[in-house]
Amino acid sequence: MSTVPIESLLHHSHLRHNSRIYRGTRSFFIPCSLNLPSHFTSNKLLHSIRTSVGASSKHKRSVAIRASSSDTAVVETAQSDDVIFKENFPVQRIEKAEGKIYVRLKQVKENNWELSVGSSIPGKWILHWGVSYVGDTGSEWDQPPEDMRPPGSIAIKDYAIETPLKKLSEGDSFFEVAINLNLESSVAALNFVLKDEETGAWYQHKGRDFKVPLVDDVPDNGNLIGAKKGFGAIGQLANIPLEQDKSSGEVQKKSESSSDSTKERKGLQEFYEEMPISKRVADDNSVSVTARKCSETSKNIVSIETDLPGDVTVHWGVCKNGSKKWEIPSEPYPEDTSLFKNKALRTRLQRKDDGSGSFGLFSLDGKLEGLCFVLKLHENTWLNYRGEDFYVPFLTSSSSVVETEATEAAQVSKHSKKTDKEVSASGFTDEIITEIRNLANDIHSHKNQKTNVKEVQENILQEIEKLAAEAYSIFRSTTPSFSEESILEAEAEKPDIKISSGTGSGFEILCQGFNWESNKSGRWYLELQEKADELASLGFTVLWLPPPTESVSPEGYMPKDLYNLNSRYGTIDELKDTVKKFHKVGIKVLGDAVLNHRCAHFKNQNGVWNLFGGRLNWDDRAIVADDPHFQGRGNKSSGDNFHAAPNIDHSQDFVRKDIKEWLCWMMEEVGYDGWRLDFVRGFWGGYVKDYMDASKPYFAVGEYWDSLSYTYGEMDYNQDAHRQRIVDWINATSGAAGAFDVTTKGILHTALQKCEYWRLSDPKGKPPGVVGWWPSRAVTFIENHDTGSTQGHWRFPEGKEMQGYAYILTHPGTPAVFFDHIFSDYHPEIAALLSLRNRQKLHCRSEVNIDKSERDVYAAIIDDKVAMKIGPGHYEPPNGSKNWSVAVEGRDYKVWETS
Amino acid sequence: MEVSVIGNPQARICRAELAYRELGFRFGSEVISGESRNRVSFCNQSSKWKEIAIRCSHRSVKCEAIVSDDAPPFLNSTPKSKSLESVKLFVGLPLDTVSDCNNVNHLKAITAGLKALKLLGVQGIELPIFWGVVEKEAAGRYEWSGYLAVAEIVKKVGLKLHVSLSFHGSKHPEIGLPDWVAKIGEAEPGIYFTDRYGQQYKDCLSFAVDDVPVLHGKTPMEVYRGFCDSFKSAFSDYMGNTITGITLGLGPDGELKYPSHQHNVKRSGAGEFQCYDKHMLTALKAYAESTGNPLWGLGGPHDAPAYDHQPNSSTFFSDGGSWESQYGNFFLSWYSSLLTSHADRVLSVASSAFSGIGVPLCGKLPLLHQWHKLRSQPSELTAGFYSSNGQDRYEAITEIFAKNSCRMIIPGMDLSDEHQSPESLSSPESLLAHIKTSCKKQGVVVSGQNSSTPVPGGFERIVENLKDENVGIDLFTYQRMGALFFSPEHFHAFTVFVRNLSRFELSSDDKAADVEDETVSIGSGTGAPSLQTA
Repeated sequence: MSTVPIESLLHHSHLRHNSRIYRGTRSFFIPCSLNLPSHFTSNKLLHSIRTSVGASSKHKRSVAIRASSSDTAVVETAQSDDVIFKENFPVQRIEKAEGKIYVRLKQVKENNWELSVGSSIPGKWILHWGVSYVGDTGSEWDQPPEDMRPPGSIAIKDYAIETPLKKLSEGDSFFEVAINLNLESSVAALNFVLKDEETGAWYQHKGRDFKVPLVDDVPDNGNLIGAKKGFGAIGQLANIPLEQDKSSGEVQKKSESSSDSTKERKGLQEFYEEMPISKRVADDNSVSVTARKCSETSKNIVSIETDLPGDVTVHWGVCKNGSKKWEIPSEPYPEDTSLFKNKALRTRLQRKDDGSGSFGLFSLDGKLEGLCFVLKLHENTWLNYRGEDFYVPFLTSSSSVVETEATEAAQVSKHSKKTDKEVSASGFTDEIITEIRNLANDIHSHKNQKTNVKEVQENILQEIEKLAAEAYSIFRSTTPSFSEESILEAEAEKPDIKISSGTGSGFEILCQGFNWESNKSGRWYLELQEKADELASLGFTVLWLPPPTESVSPEGYMPKDLYNLNSRYGTIDELKDTVKKFHKVGIKVLGDAVLNHRCAHFKNQNGVWNLFGGRLNWDDRAIVADDPHFQGRGNKSSGDNFHAAPNIDHSQDFVRKDIKEWLCWMMEEVGYDGWRLDFVRGFWGGYVKDYMDASKPYFAVGEYWDSLSYTYGEMDYNQDAHRQRIVDWINATSGAAGAFDVTTKGILHTALQKCEYWRLSDPKGKPPGVVGWWPSRAVTFIENHDTGSTQGHWRFPEGKEMQGYAYILTHPGTPAVFFDHIFSDYHPEIAALLSLRNRQKLHCRSEVNIDKSERDVYAAIIDDKVAMKIGPGHYEPPNGSKNWSVAVEGRDYKVWETS
Repeated sequence: MEVSVIGNPQARICRAELAYRELGFRFGSEVISGESRNRVSFCNQSSKWKEIAIRCSHRSVKCEAIVSDDAPPFLNSTPKSKSLESVKLFVGLPLDTVSDCNNVNHLKAITAGLKALKLLGVQGIELPIFWGVVEKEAAGRYEWSGYLAVAEIVKKVGLKLHVSLSFHGSKHPEIGLPDWVAKIGEAEPGIYFTDRYGQQYKDCLSFAVDDVPVLHGKTPMEVYRGFCDSFKSAFSDYMGNTITGITLGLGPDGELKYPSHQHNVKRSGAGEFQCYDKHMLTALKAYAESTGNPLWGLGGPHDAPAYDHQPNSSTFFSDGGSWESQYGNFFLSWYSSLLTSHADRVLSVASSAFSGIGVPLCGKLPLLHQWHKLRSQPSELTAGFYSSNGQDRYEAITEIFAKNSCRMIIPGMDLSDEHQSPESLSSPESLLAHIKTSCKKQGVVVSGQNSSTPVPGGFERIVENLKDENVGIDLFTYQRMGALFFSPEHFHAFTVFVRNLSRFELSSDDKAADVEDETVSIGSGTGAPSLQTA
């Protein structure tokens, strides 16, 4: 996709044509595609360059020539008679550098330890770190004590420090920072992430902060280091076998048992750990090209030399007749040359003896006009010169003819003699000047104009086609076509909309509007507000906000005073504003209601935390009786227990009355339209019905998350029992609320990860998750703040998220998209799928016909108007009366729609 | 891999684009270089694509050159010899280019699209600016940011901009009148056009309230004036250089007409009279009393057919029917005079607001070609076009346009009689010819537009219309950019259309170009990309 703005391209081309002048400005060259904002910012700069260049074209020319002639004079004095072209092309090669990050803890003196963090890849590394003190709970960071901060550290807000890594020694590529640990302070652990400012990339440990424990009892959340566990940076997680097959609790246990060292040790021990990382780095190399005219054979001898490492293959062709079209010259060819698809020759350069690069000699017919080439490094890595082919012009009789024909031929040729016949470099400027003169003299004929204008035109044409195709693809995915017929049809097709709190309109698409880290900024509501327009334009209809109440944990899932809506996400006013803002863009808002448990304000006489404060000042009668930790005096729990906080006894009338009142208050005060109900496994679905009846939400969904069934570590094909439990819960609510389709997520995990796509069809040929049984109540998702984000309790197979979305966004059920995925590289693909879902009016009751479910491919047709496949295998929707066109396509998935 | 020959085509556009850039940049001192470079392109005619490239280069040069003249380009309206060279081609942006939250929708697509059009040789872009977006929140609170962003992109790409100030709403996509106006409308539905069933047309204010202070004590004309002033100051940097035309919305869909079809999209009938809002009825009553026929002022015609009825199904439009009666003349004269005076009011407001900035103003007429072959021409009557002397129904309107030195935009230039269904007794060609003649008589400059949905043979018809030497159409706006526009079939047809426009412009010396061998260092081989795709 050519999203590169014109300006920067212009700039490139200028560089090319005037390369001699602009050597110095190479640093402006940005090799990747830019998006628009950066385009605007860079604009001024580029313009100013242009201005300085264009101001006087005459100067431009003479400068260019002078510069080039001196070049030649210095470098090639001896052979200047023969040399017809010499140019040193700088090339930039982007390589995936692989290296490691290491963490070393060593004892300097008795109570003086040193922690070093280093990287073996060059970069502008910054250690972003903080500490936890003894007695801290939760995952908050604190500022380290002053004496621990290495020089050059910068405090970031009140919880972190940024310290740059320094090069260990010149000539060494290791970067490191060392932190002196004073163990007399009460620092319990050191937390950090690594940041590369060059690329803006963050490196984390298993998707979380690195944590180096300095005392024994640091809680292990799976991210401790120094304990020998699987190690990996973000992006490398694929290497780590995720414990997909276990519920989160089991994962935890397993990793604990596998950690053999730190935790069990008394006192601190030295350790050294490293982990692989990779980074894209740009290497500057050069290709130098010299062309000589051999006076005896009248052949052009071109030598190409480069310091690029490894095998370098030159793909080349020659130019005749003034065009730059690649043509195949007549034999003989240099050694190691083969013909490539009749379009080019392929010559492998010979390695230099000293291993510092490669070179090649090309002997070509004297009548040819030039040599075009590109370099191929290894599979799929091509190098060209500033976006164009390398071009080596030869001095031929025809080109001198041109010069004499030009209006001021004498002048030009004089110049070109002076410059040792550096035709190519000045050719462009000469041409412009010629043209200016032509016009100035009002000469309308185009006699001097060239056949290869045709090339330019063809190129323009190609470009137009490309741009149009790009515009088409985006428009197509974001707007309905504007022909009246289709609009009418679409309206006619729209089924009657019945609002049910379990389904909303049936056309809902949910966005989970936060992740596990969202509380960190303290202003999440405000940040989210800014995304309202974007989320609306993507086609979301429902937004799930984080739990709003005062909470013992910053993430909000340990609520305390339900009527205090100031949380780490922002104040109640900011919350209300946010809800208002989303309403304005047409998005309904769900509140995250934690009804299963509540943290107490006070201890009872036994020192047990079980007395509540605030407006709902319940006592221990509001707490279920079967959790000994909290000495509740209520009835036994109607569901599973959540052990970290007192579980609320929903069987008590006063509790239910208070909760109903609270829900209605939230609706009214905040403006919520519905609910996401946390941990509904903890209490009977019948109570949920009661709550839904009272608060009348537009949409409600419960989190009923338990483990799928496995036999000997292998996921069972039949997950009916699992989905039955979820359906039972929905039934208990009388369908007043839907439920997250955990079954579908689980099956997708195994199907995608192990390439077992046959799992996606149940024995009756229906989807195997809740969505196959009760689609209108199934809220499909592939990731949430618990399973993914920085917790990663049950992460979706890495890199296969889009297959997951291709599935849930085309299938019935109400799909929920996780915030992190929307604002990731997946954005365009997700946007296209959302747009397709809305465009084709797929809804929670759409009919799905599974067309194929084999080892490596799953394909289905939904509502006869959308076809999709996931998996590496081949699938094409059946030819028939329908005209399928590809709507969205990506890695291992493809979606078609009828046109 | 990041570095690859993928970059190649991108680099190419820059080369091509360089020519234009060079041009824009030097403009003022040495207009010359670009011209010459562009002229290069005329030598080859061996492929149609080339011609397109040729066309565009040349044309963009022309465009710049004209701007350099002292006179605003639009006023050089009557070319000496009619060639399509002088026709500037514009393309309209999607109606929902700026969302009602002032975001630029499908920004990437628009940017890519603009570049493609620039390369193709399109001179400019039409941007619909909606009242309901800019002054959405409260009276006098204008939010131009989204539209300014678009103007900036258009400027960056090097295209001209023609803005349409739209005081109406749109159904698809849904853009309403400003929220605060809608709120007033809830309390006082009389500000909207109303049909005889009492249904309101909420996408445009009734012509009868033009000078009634219904909007928080201000008249709609005063509010429009404020809008124009705010627009002028917000876009002052673009005025005259990037912005080379301003179209004033004159009624429903921006066209000067009554919403005679209201919500009836099928348009099978002739439409209905929209004179049943409170203010219209009051005016009608007063007019009836003043002409001595108070009984005629109690309502609209009772024998007009319903929306979906054939015009001849009742007596009003039939030959010798009420429309030809004295009553008919009374009613239709009044009905059409409101339309005329509305046009006059809006155009006067605009021409005083924009006086002295050198940017020409335009207004758009509808092309009500259905039932045109009936003597009564009922579609035109319900929409408000009538002449009591039985002569030219467009005369009064063109006079108003001439008086305000306003250009007239006529849509439907792609419609041809042969593609109309015979039952509709439609004749877009003759109606178009009629309006054009009327304009010519008054010296009103005509710009063209197509109808919003592509029709068979549309492009050929447009070219014919533009070639018409009778009326010098020097600006054509193609409606409108979007998915359909860029769909492969349509975009191909569009490029062929651009090529056809250019065919008429090749002068003899263009063809006489010698082809000589010379090495020019621009342009590169096609080898690399083909290798890559291979």
